[in-house]
Amino acid sequence: MSAITSAQHAALLAIGVELLGREACYLDERRWDEWLALYARDCEFWVPTWTAEGELTTSPQTELSLMYYAARGGLEDRIVRIRSGRSPAALPLPRTTHIVSNILLLEPQPPQRIRLRSSWVCHAFFPLLEASHTFFGRAEYELALREERWAIAKKKTILENDRIPMAIDVYCL
Amino acid sequence: MAVKPARFYVDDRPEEGVFRVHRDVYSDAELFELEIKYIFERTWNFLTLESQIAKPHDYITTYVGRTPVVVSRDAKGNICAFLNTCRHKGATVCRFEKGNSKFHVCLYHGWAYDSSGKNISIKQREAADYPPAFDAQNHDLIPLAKLATYKGLIFGSLSPDVPPLDEHLGDLKFFIDLHMDQGPQGMEIIPGRVAYTYRGNWKMQLENGQDPYHVDTAHGSFMAIAERRRKGQGNVAARELDWQKRNDVQIGAYEFPHGHSSVWHDVAEPERRAVYATLDEVRGRVGDLRADWMIKQRNAVFFPNLQIADQIVPILRTFRPIAADLTELRSNVIGPIGEPPAQRAARLRQFEDFVNPGGYATPDDVTVFADCQTGFKSTGVDFLQGYSRGIGVVERGANDEARAAELHPLASVKGHRTQNTELGTHAPFREWVRLMEAGMAGRKAYS
Repeated sequence: MSAITSAQHAALLAIGVELLGREACYLDERRWDEWLALYARDCEFWVPTWTAEGELTTSPQTELSLMYYAARGGLEDRIVRIRSGRSPAALPLPRTTHIVSNILLLEPQPPQRIRLRSSWVCHAFFPLLEASHTFFGRAEYELALREERWAIAKKKTILENDRIPMAIDVYCL
Repeated sequence: MAVKPARFYVDDRPEEGVFRVHRDVYSDAELFELEIKYIFERTWNFLTLESQIAKPHDYITTYVGRTPVVVSRDAKGNICAFLNTCRHKGATVCRFEKGNSKFHVCLYHGWAYDSSGKNISIKQREAADYPPAFDAQNHDLIPLAKLATYKGLIFGSLSPDVPPLDEHLGDLKFFIDLHMDQGPQGMEIIPGRVAYTYRGNWKMQLENGQDPYHVDTAHGSFMAIAERRRKGQGNVAARELDWQKRNDVQIGAYEFPHGHSSVWHDVAEPERRAVYATLDEVRGRVGDLRADWMIKQRNAVFFPNLQIADQIVPILRTFRPIAADLTELRSNVIGPIGEPPAQRAARLRQFEDFVNPGGYATPDDVTVFADCQTGFKSTGVDFLQGYSRGIGVVERGANDEARAAELHPLASVKGHRTQNTELGTHAPFREWVRLMEAGMAGRKAYS
């Protein structure tokens, strides 16, 4: 790994902070197309489960995930479902506020990529239940340049409170 | 609200074609308490798989009704199950869901038990000046009254007065076989676990698995997704069945003794089924009839706490009743031991896409359960009407398919996919009445 200067560090981190902030904002404001556009077409989107032993699963190919998509097509399905107006789980759609913090660059930084981690909280209000729930966890991102723009090439979301009240969707994470 | 005789809640008049269930069955807190006492605590419950406790001292923790239980393998490799509550002050002696430990030591005062539940230490016993009456007492963890296994599934009962497991399972063994015989070296639980709750009664999920009728409405949004996938867009890796191709298929259901039942559904695209990749091997081992049954979509209920489901991929889903309107579900996805990596990954993608709290079907089911639970609070309305589809053509005993499979159901139904029979709900409710009636009358559950 080649050491990066503090100016480079600040510049990469700023790109990450901006992008992660946008993701939270687009989800909360239901700007689904802009949210999808943050992801590379060949992105990997992974939400591992915890095992019964209290460890995170380490491979989506051999162990169970809460969600796993090997391409953006999987995320597009989620939006098709929301927009169909035919999914009881999204009628009415929960209202959310994401707080994303503790964004740090991860070492080593691969060439042409930005690796980041974040801590996140998502407050979700479920009108159906007249109740709120707080989902929380951390996430790891890998950003890559696509058409001269930084896009999410990989995202691994860890849901810490995994005893799920009913269901989860991309807007709860 | 005063509880009425159990028979009041299920209006069951087969000779008149009437089967109706009272809404209070799902919402009355007093009835729920009686269900825990007279159903969950007085019959067999599914606990876990033998493979989850493969080695000496392996254990898992679970519940029978609301009773916390440890299922363990002792030093000699015997399967044991005991109540997870210290004899001294009642604390659970094991806090973890799964692990390996020679000893279970209570964190409160240090009483220690071995992996068979036997008390091996009472801290500072010599200096305790216990009276002789204390020394005369047994200090071991309380074993479950009954414990037995079938095809690697472990079942237990808090009550000793239950029929032998083999007799209790009856034809449900056929449906367990269809799950557990899919791999040449047996089946294993795929690591990772999914636990979720819903605001609804435990019987809502039990019935949902016996209810093909809800699929194209509750999961209607999946139609829009399937439409895109047909064009190669979206999460095509999930290889879900294309619902447009199923219009000519048949469905059916069976009512079995002891509250068990099963629905089945023919499949227009067998190549999308997980078992298809190894179907030749499976046919050679289990024969054509059982291999063809493995291809069918199936959902069998082991009353009261397990679904043996394979609408998408084979899973074992347990219900844990917490309150009249709160239930926890856990899904175990099983796959053949030694399954090639590509098939294992494909199996996982199919499960996650549909029958997962982050998938496309389960979230819809559990949110409509909450709607039902809200509706049950209504006054001025009594019996539900969701139990009669297919009943106009019900055959007492076995139909042709059942006879061919050497099954002996109490009743059988078969019809076009859109008949969407509700027969599968009858067995659980008939057993519900029988067990509740016995309990309320002070009789044993089984005579």
